[in-house]
Amino acid sequence: MKRILLLRGAELIVFAFLATIPLLVVNPYALGLLTLLAIYGILLIGLDVTVGYLGQINLGHVAFLGLGAYTAGLVVTKLGLGMAPALLASMVVGLLLGGLLALPALRLEGPQFALATLSFAALCTTALNELEGLTGGAQGLSLSRPPVFDHVLTPPLFYWLCMALLAVVWMLMRNLLASQWGRAFEALRDSPIATDAMGVGTYRHKVAAFALGSSLGGLAGGLYAFNFEYLQPQSFTYDLMIILLLGVVLGGRKSLWGAFVGASVIVLLPNLLSNRHLFQIFSGLGFAMALAAGLRGLVKKTTRPFQALAPVVAMGILVVGGLLVENTEDWRKAIFALMLFSVVVGLPEGLMGFLSIFLAKLFRVPHAPLPAPTDIETLLPPRTADGSPLLMLEDLKRHFGGVKAVDGLSLSIRSGSIHGLIGPNGSGKSTLVNVISGLYTPSSGRILLRGAVLPSGSLYRVSQSGVARTFQNLQLFAELTALENVMVALRGVYRSPLPLVLLGLARREERQAQADALCLLDRIGLKDQALTKAKDLTYGAQRFLEVARALARKPDLLILDEPAAGLAHPDVVQLIEIIRRVHRRGISILLIEHHMDVVSELCDLVTVLDGGKVIAEGTPDEVKRDPKVVEAYLGQPASPSEPSHGGVEPLPA
Amino acid sequence: MISAFFSLTLTNLGLPYWAMVPGGLLFGAIMGLVVERAGVRLALEQKSEGWILLTIIIGLFFFSTAENIWGRDDRPFPTPISADPINILGVDVTRLEISVAVGVLGIMGLIELFKRRTLLGKAFEAVSADRDAAELMGISATRTVMLSYGLSGAVAALAGILVSPITTVGPTMASALILKAFSVAVVAGLDSGFGVVLVGMFLGALESLSSFYLGSGWREAPGLILLILALAVRPTGVFGKAIIRKV
Repeated sequence: MKRILLLRGAELIVFAFLATIPLLVVNPYALGLLTLLAIYGILLIGLDVTVGYLGQINLGHVAFLGLGAYTAGLVVTKLGLGMAPALLASMVVGLLLGGLLALPALRLEGPQFALATLSFAALCTTALNELEGLTGGAQGLSLSRPPVFDHVLTPPLFYWLCMALLAVVWMLMRNLLASQWGRAFEALRDSPIATDAMGVGTYRHKVAAFALGSSLGGLAGGLYAFNFEYLQPQSFTYDLMIILLLGVVLGGRKSLWGAFVGASVIVLLPNLLSNRHLFQIFSGLGFAMALAAGLRGLVKKTTRPFQALAPVVAMGILVVGGLLVENTEDWRKAIFALMLFSVVVGLPEGLMGFLSIFLAKLFRVPHAPLPAPTDIETLLPPRTADGSPLLMLEDLKRHFGGVKAVDGLSLSIRSGSIHGLIGPNGSGKSTLVNVISGLYTPSSGRILLRGAVLPSGSLYRVSQSGVARTFQNLQLFAELTALENVMVALRGVYRSPLPLVLLGLARREERQAQADALCLLDRIGLKDQALTKAKDLTYGAQRFLEVARALARKPDLLILDEPAAGLAHPDVVQLIEIIRRVHRRGISILLIEHHMDVVSELCDLVTVLDGGKVIAEGTPDEVKRDPKVVEAYLGQPASPSEPSHGGVEPLPA
Repeated sequence: MISAFFSLTLTNLGLPYWAMVPGGLLFGAIMGLVVERAGVRLALEQKSEGWILLTIIIGLFFFSTAENIWGRDDRPFPTPISADPINILGVDVTRLEISVAVGVLGIMGLIELFKRRTLLGKAFEAVSADRDAAELMGISATRTVMLSYGLSGAVAALAGILVSPITTVGPTMASALILKAFSVAVVAGLDSGFGVVLVGMFLGALESLSSFYLGSGWREAPGLILLILALAVRPTGVFGKAIIRKV
């Protein structure tokens, strides 16, 4: 309760204060700045979706601002429509073009994504310049603010409109980003492969995130047009894009408040730069801050020397430059560069990221209480296993060029069994798992689940069919908490359509998801660490979390890809217990493992691979005595005079 | 861009052209090292993906500095090679343009030779393929990466010196060229030297055609669309090798 009071209270106070300003202040210049603050606030919230949540450098956002502005301008001047349709059109244009750009940009990461968006922005500038008949080209486009309900929008009224829209966007985005959508965006950033494998679908979430951010860019563009009443293609170039990035990074990523702070900085920057005295004060302050932070980092040894020094040097250049240079306006790009540099290096979480930790401590903001865990009997009702074939592989092949990683493999896994899959390194175990789970498309052959052909070559669709997997090289969503990791993957809980989520009417589902996820965390003994970030868990706990996350898919078949790799002995014991518990719910398991003791203890049936082919199959004891298996592992024929001891010795772990 | 400016300053100081070239190259190499230390390695130390942002930022800083030291206007760049057109097979080409083509092909040949024939070149490829494995084999990845940035800075400087007599020197010369350079490299595939030449020629032809048929303002549009499409269809480039995802 206290948490809600504090967080919502802060929002209410700020917005109420901003709303009363026009009644107190009549200075038109200040009002203009505040209007711009609201517009940039909307714009940056949109940019934060891609930069913060998706973690991609988006250099095309400015193009959506421009497109939105021109759309609004043209709707008003050419079609003669009012403000509401114009703003709506701006949003739709942003949404559609954003979705369109996201489709090809989908497969791209990092520099290539930045490049694709940059090209798009360059393309838009060209189009706005050259479509002279429509946009007026370099001459610009003049428009006037259309009246709303026969009221001429005076500056204070327009300001209220912008602020109201910012408040609406704020609320909707808060609801969305706190829902499974926001979690999916973040999951996408940390591990696209696991996001697909957990049945969340990178495809639609990436497009949705980008289109959503772009539509906010379009809306901001529409307001921008009505604010300035004059548009030029040159306003929407790379320079402005850099400033927007500065705003998001400086304010703090993944935070609505961060976007707000960033927008304030952007709005105030030109004034800061034109007033020499003010600039010197602020650069001095920045230098002092960088110096203090750098020294603290050095003393506490949390940062490396160069890392601590770099922001200090950058701010130092700023201070010295401020004293030497006559006209700070001419150097604005260099100043932006220095400030951005210091922030990215010295304050990676941004101002709000830094402040929020501090404020949470100061006001002792408690975390929202968690619901009681769901009963396991309702979450995963025990299934009856009849021993019929669940998964069938028929002459499955996967070749990489000349390498036959999986070479004509047939296998049947009975429902309700724990089926072991072992084999020396390079025998094709991992490739087989990747083919079944849909990461690789098989070169030939069929995979049947309960007699129906399993979709091939799509992690997402395989996951939807009821097969869940863990990863040998951990693919957790590192920045999400343990609870959120499981919540992302939960199947069959999230039913509310997007509009309800936006309006915050899906809270009951959210509580349900938390309760379900807590139940699964309880199963693996991580209930007490539910709110710890996945990257901060111990190695063993991370391995268990992989299992819990896959369980959240409520799968028919659970594929465990070397779950015991690198685990210490006590953890291995716990893992065996966890797998037993999962099995007791009637879930069939395919266990790929190197540890022979784990396999012997758990598996009903073991298949041994070598060179992409099955060389033996049987109970753990039978397999261990099989001469072909011993040969595959030890590289020499076992002589009959030396019978195996029946222990773990013949098979190295 | 910045190396071209620096070279221009050197010539203006009275240095002859041929003495200016190594100076410009050295400067480019130093700048490459600065970018590596202040941008790329710093981001790696922080384990963040911020290096893209940092290189953009450093570029912006250089850009602004050049703008203020050398002014915003484009300036002519001296060259000992004459700009008189000569007629080859019915096409008018200037010696200058030939010098650019020859220079570029020369550099590319040298880089390919370097990559394939020398031990250091092999080390470059090793680090790019698997940083950790290369370190274990006794290659210092840090030094190799430093060297590669130094080298790329020097090559960029040479490109600047070669192309400047045609384009003139100005702060905007880089931003116009960088997108083109990236388009060509990405469309061709980042590790394909031969592909880059082919795609570069194709893109050049495409630009001329579109400026002829659509108007000069649209000159770059088809290239940009091609870039986005190429990225979408083949992120590893037309001549690049497909990457197998592993988990």
